[in-house]
Amino acid sequence: MDDPVFWQTLRLTLEVSLVTTLILLFLGLPLGWVLAHKRFWGKRVLESIVLLPLTLPPTVLGFYLLLLLGQNGPIAQTFGFTWAFRFEGLVVGSVLFSLPFALNGYREAFRSLDLDLIQTARTLGAGWRRVWLEVILPITWPGILSGSILAFAHTLGEFGVVLMIGGNIPGKTQLVSIYIYDQVQALQFDRAAEAAGLLLAVSFVLVYLVRTLEDVWRSRMP
Amino acid sequence: MEIAYALKHPVRLELKLQVEGFTVLLGESGVGKTSLLKAIAGLIPANGEPFAGLKAEKRPVGYLPQHFALFPHLRAWQNVAFSLAHLPGPDRKRKALAYLELMGIAELAERYPRQMSGGQQQRVALARALAREPQILLLDEPTSALDLATREEVFGGVLERLKALALPTLAASHDLWLAQRAHRVAVLTRHGLLQQGSPEAVFARPKNLEVARLVGYRNLWAGVVLWLEGEWAWVQTPLGVLQVARPDWVQAGQKVWLGIRSEEVFTLDTQKNRLLGRISQLSWQGLRLRGQLMVGGVALDFLLPRHRQLQLGLSEGLELEVALEPRLLHLMPA
Repeated sequence: MDDPVFWQTLRLTLEVSLVTTLILLFLGLPLGWVLAHKRFWGKRVLESIVLLPLTLPPTVLGFYLLLLLGQNGPIAQTFGFTWAFRFEGLVVGSVLFSLPFALNGYREAFRSLDLDLIQTARTLGAGWRRVWLEVILPITWPGILSGSILAFAHTLGEFGVVLMIGGNIPGKTQLVSIYIYDQVQALQFDRAAEAAGLLLAVSFVLVYLVRTLEDVWRSRMP
Repeated sequence: MEIAYALKHPVRLELKLQVEGFTVLLGESGVGKTSLLKAIAGLIPANGEPFAGLKAEKRPVGYLPQHFALFPHLRAWQNVAFSLAHLPGPDRKRKALAYLELMGIAELAERYPRQMSGGQQQRVALARALAREPQILLLDEPTSALDLATREEVFGGVLERLKALALPTLAASHDLWLAQRAHRVAVLTRHGLLQQGSPEAVFARPKNLEVARLVGYRNLWAGVVLWLEGEWAWVQTPLGVLQVARPDWVQAGQKVWLGIRSEEVFTLDTQKNRLLGRISQLSWQGLRLRGQLMVGGVALDFLLPRHRQLQLGLSEGLELEVALEPRLLHLMPA
């Protein structure tokens, strides 16, 4: 804990995780709703794509992102900006990599929602805004929160994707998990142990929270 | 109120329906009763009057799905207040309580749905629908989520309150008990809307075989009209020649269907239409005794109130003579 780089790294890790989780919330909620309740052509393809990060080696995902967002990539050539080796690149990689975790939580929460409630709410004069704010979210929030916490925890511990797309620049794109690896490589086992212990504790608390929320959620379902 | 609707999905349906007071749309499951209610409420795409083209949230309807759809995270009064979003805060609660009072459940105001019985939930859902000040109330299978044994007790009171409101109400149901207590019954089958009218008319004079089966006729036989005389017709049936009240459409030589309700098999003492048979398959159905009288090879289903059984002392295998009252035998075109 005496290493100033560690605190910088921890701070960056938390920032990436938080921003990733917020983006996943805005992206994942509508997507989760669509996957839970809409039928459309190509739905299975879409489901497979968003679940792909679960089985894909993180380095593969990171590699393709590097090609896409790197200096000579199509994004750079078309729009003129490069997100590789930057905070933005870390976030894009994390969003894609943690999407299945957030999405599963959201989708299950929406799937177990009785659609009669929504239809009835509409016949009672509620437009879509009120339906979301006063019916859907108050009933499904434990599931949504648990999906978000899982995504947050998963992002905290990410290694392969952020190593590829971020490049492990200390103080700029180095995250805690890679920091630990570096310390071990440098035979700084004390530092590695401290950082690892901290991640372990945080992860346990988060997963414990998710389990608690699942119980809360179940007790609310009629 | 006249309802004229056409929908294509999930069932193809086109009908014109008169809703007066408490009207039951009677039909088996799958014929599109629920879909029609949803279409009127604006929840599935359809063409029709009234409320054409309005979004669901703009239609003045009170819609109650089968399981009432109370919001589980809101107390009873908050559920009702959901319909009253246009009022300022204090007024909302006051008005919500007034609607709960109207349904006779003011004392449940602070309860959550999971703390209430099915019947209580239904009353809260009705209070909530009424708070919308609808022009029509749409009830989907209002008695199906209730316990059959307590249905009369639980829903009887609700029904009286609803009738007293004089609000046009359309209840989709396959429940004959409910249909018999309605102001009006409309019979929907896969072939469309076959008959509508008072429960007396529909239950006593079903228009055809399909309606007859749906309104509970168990004794239905094919027959041929032999001759006509005054207000009577004589019909050849598997049970023999029976004398029947003559409808105006019937002609000698015509093929017909003949029916009599199980509960009317023993009704009156008459010298006409006497049948001798042997009793089989006796069983109690609640407080009524159901059985079959085998006449030749034909089974005549009957249903007796308890006090009649006390007088008659029927048992299986016993030989018995019954008389079918000609005015209670109903003829339908084949």
